[in-house]
Amino acid sequence: MFKERYQLHWITAVLSVLKTVKEMIIPIILLVFVNGVNDTGKWYLDYLTFLIFGFFMISFFITGIIKWKRYVYWFEDNELRIEYGLFVKKKRYIPFDRIQSLDYTEGILHRPFNLVKVSVETAGGSSSLKAEAELTAITKEAAEVIEREIAEAKRKKSVSPETVNEAETFEEVEEDVVPSVQTIFNMTGKDLFVLATTSGGMGLIFSGFLVFISQFIDILPLDAIYKEVSVFIKSGIFLVAIFSILSLIVVWGISVAMTFLAYYGFTVQVIEKDIVITRGLLEKKRVTVPLNRVQSVRIVENPFRQLFGYATVVIDNAGGGLAGEGAKINLFPLAKKKKVMAPLKELFPELQLEQPTIKLPARSKRFYYRAYSYVAAVIAAVVSYYLFPYGLFAFMVIPIIVLWGIWRHRSAAFELSGNQLTMRFRGISLQTVYVLKKRIQSMEIKQNYFHRKNDVATISAAIKSGALAFNAQVKHMELRDAEKILTWYEPKTFSIEREDQ
Amino acid sequence: MNQISEKGLRVWRVYGIIQTFIVLLLAIGAGVLTYIFEWPAYIYAIAAVIVVFYAYFFVYLFPKIKWMRWRYEVRESEIELQHGLFIVKRTLIPMVRVQHVDTSQGPILRKYGLAGITISTAATNHEIPALIVAEADELRSRISGLARVADDDV
Repeated sequence: MFKERYQLHWITAVLSVLKTVKEMIIPIILLVFVNGVNDTGKWYLDYLTFLIFGFFMISFFITGIIKWKRYVYWFEDNELRIEYGLFVKKKRYIPFDRIQSLDYTEGILHRPFNLVKVSVETAGGSSSLKAEAELTAITKEAAEVIEREIAEAKRKKSVSPETVNEAETFEEVEEDVVPSVQTIFNMTGKDLFVLATTSGGMGLIFSGFLVFISQFIDILPLDAIYKEVSVFIKSGIFLVAIFSILSLIVVWGISVAMTFLAYYGFTVQVIEKDIVITRGLLEKKRVTVPLNRVQSVRIVENPFRQLFGYATVVIDNAGGGLAGEGAKINLFPLAKKKKVMAPLKELFPELQLEQPTIKLPARSKRFYYRAYSYVAAVIAAVVSYYLFPYGLFAFMVIPIIVLWGIWRHRSAAFELSGNQLTMRFRGISLQTVYVLKKRIQSMEIKQNYFHRKNDVATISAAIKSGALAFNAQVKHMELRDAEKILTWYEPKTFSIEREDQ
Repeated sequence: MNQISEKGLRVWRVYGIIQTFIVLLLAIGAGVLTYIFEWPAYIYAIAAVIVVFYAYFFVYLFPKIKWMRWRYEVRESEIELQHGLFIVKRTLIPMVRVQHVDTSQGPILRKYGLAGITISTAATNHEIPALIVAEADELRSRISGLARVADDDV
C-alpha cells in the first residue's frame, strides 16, 4: 500500500539558515573588531575573512534547503517514520505507543503561515538527551493529522484481545470523540507583573548588563568618560541617585517585558488524561504532560514571594530530555498559595497536600551552620589579617550564616501518610515535595562522622525528572525517623503487598 | 550482608600506588625546579612529606576503610548497598525500579579476575565495585531475573 509522504513547510530552510546566522554573528563581530579593515592594497586580502564567512553563509544556505527537501515523514505500521539527512540518509521509526506527547511551539516566523513546530516526546529512555523527533515547521492541519493518527492507532490497540476485558477504558475511548477540556489555571496581567518583579531574572539581567559593559570597557574612551563622570558626580548625589533609580526601572522594565513574552496567556488545561500548558506572546508554546507521567509535585516559595503569600508549583515529568524544557515543568509559575491547593487537589486526587508536621530535633540545629561558620571564620581571619582593621567586618558573615542555618533547620520537616512521602526543606527558597512511594527510584541514608555520634542522618529520595534524577533531601534529621522512612520505602514481600491494596 | 572480594582491596591499593606514583613524579618535578632556581630548601621536605602522607592515606588507610565499610545484599524484592569513606551511605533500590544491570571490567580489574556491576533505575545508577567475575555474572543474571519494572510507575 502506498503511503503518502509529507514534507515540512519551506520556512524550515529559512529557520535553519537563520539559526546558523545567529550562531555566527558573534564570531563575525569579534573578527571585525579584532581584525578591523586593514589596507594592504589587495582587496581580496583586506576582505579575506569576510569572503570566507560569505562562503560559509552560502554553503549553509544551500545545505539548509537540501536538508529541508530531504526531510520527509509518514505513517506506516503504527509508526511515525521520518527520513532525513544531508549526506547520510537517516531513518527514524517511532512506534505510536511510545509517543507520550506532542509539544507545539509557534515562533514568530511560524505564525503568519499558521505553522507549528512539533516536538515528539516519547516515554523516554534515560539516554535520550532531547526530543525524539522534531518537525521544525508543519501546518496546523498536518499537526492535527498526526494527532489523529496516533489517537486512532491507540484506539485500535485498545480493542485488541489483551485489553478487551478492560471494557471500561474501551468505552471511555469511544465516548471521548470530543475530548473533555477543563481549564485549571490562568495567569492575569497582575500575576505576570509580580512574577517579573520577584524573579531572579532581575538580577540576571543586571549582571548581564554589567558583563556587557565589561566586555566593551577596552573599546570605550575611558578617560573621556572618567572626566564626564567626575563632573557628573560633582553635580550632586541627587543626580546619581536618580540615575541609579532610572537604571533599576529600566532593568525592571526589561524583566517585565521578558516575562510577558514568555508567559503571556499562561493557561493550564486538562484534556482527557493530559495536562496541557499553553503560553507565550510572540512565540507560543504548548506542552503536554500525561497525568500518569508526573513523578512529583513541588511547591517552591522564594523568601520574597513567601512574604506575600505567593508560591510556584513545579512538577517533575518522567518524559522530556536533559534540555530542561520537558523535565521540570512550571505548572503554576506564580499564584497565591491559598489558591493553588484546590486546582492541585483536582489534578492529583491521590496526593495529600497538607504541610508536613514532623520537625527535626533541636540537637541537629548546629549541623546546619557549624561547618559553614568554621570555614567563614577561617576566611574572615585571613581577610582581617591582611586588611586590618576593616577586614574585621568579614566576621559579620558568621551571624548571618548561623541565622540562615537556624532558618533552614526550622523549615525542614517530613511526613509519611499512607503511600505518600512529604518532604520540606530550604536552600534559599522553601520547597515542599509531595511524592508517592512508587515514584521514588531509590532512597539513601547518609551519615558522616558527626552524624553518627549524634544519631542524626540525611535522607535522600531520588525522583525521576526528565532523563536525570532530582534528589529530594531532608538534611540532619533524627536517625530513627530516617530509618523509619527507609523501612516505609522497603518493598514488602508480594503477598503482603496484595493485602495492602 | 555480603562484603566485596578481598581482591577488591588489593585493586584499590594498586589504584592508590598508581596515584602515588603520579604524585611522586610531581614532587620530583618540584624538587628539580627547587634545585635549579635555588628556592628555599624546606620545599624538599614539604614535597617528601606530601608523598609519604599520600601513600599512607591512599594506599593503606582509605582503601582499608572503604573495603571494610562496603556491604551489599540482593534480596528478592530489593537491593541494599552500604558504603562510603567519610559519609556512610545506605541505599535501597526496590527490584521493581531496576531497569537494567551491567557488568564492567577495566584492565586492572581483569588482571585480578574481578568485575564491577552497575544497577540502573530510570533515574539513578548504583555500582557494586570489584566482585569476582563469576559472582558478578551470577548476580547480574539474578537481578535481571528478579527485576520486573512496573511500566506505568516510571
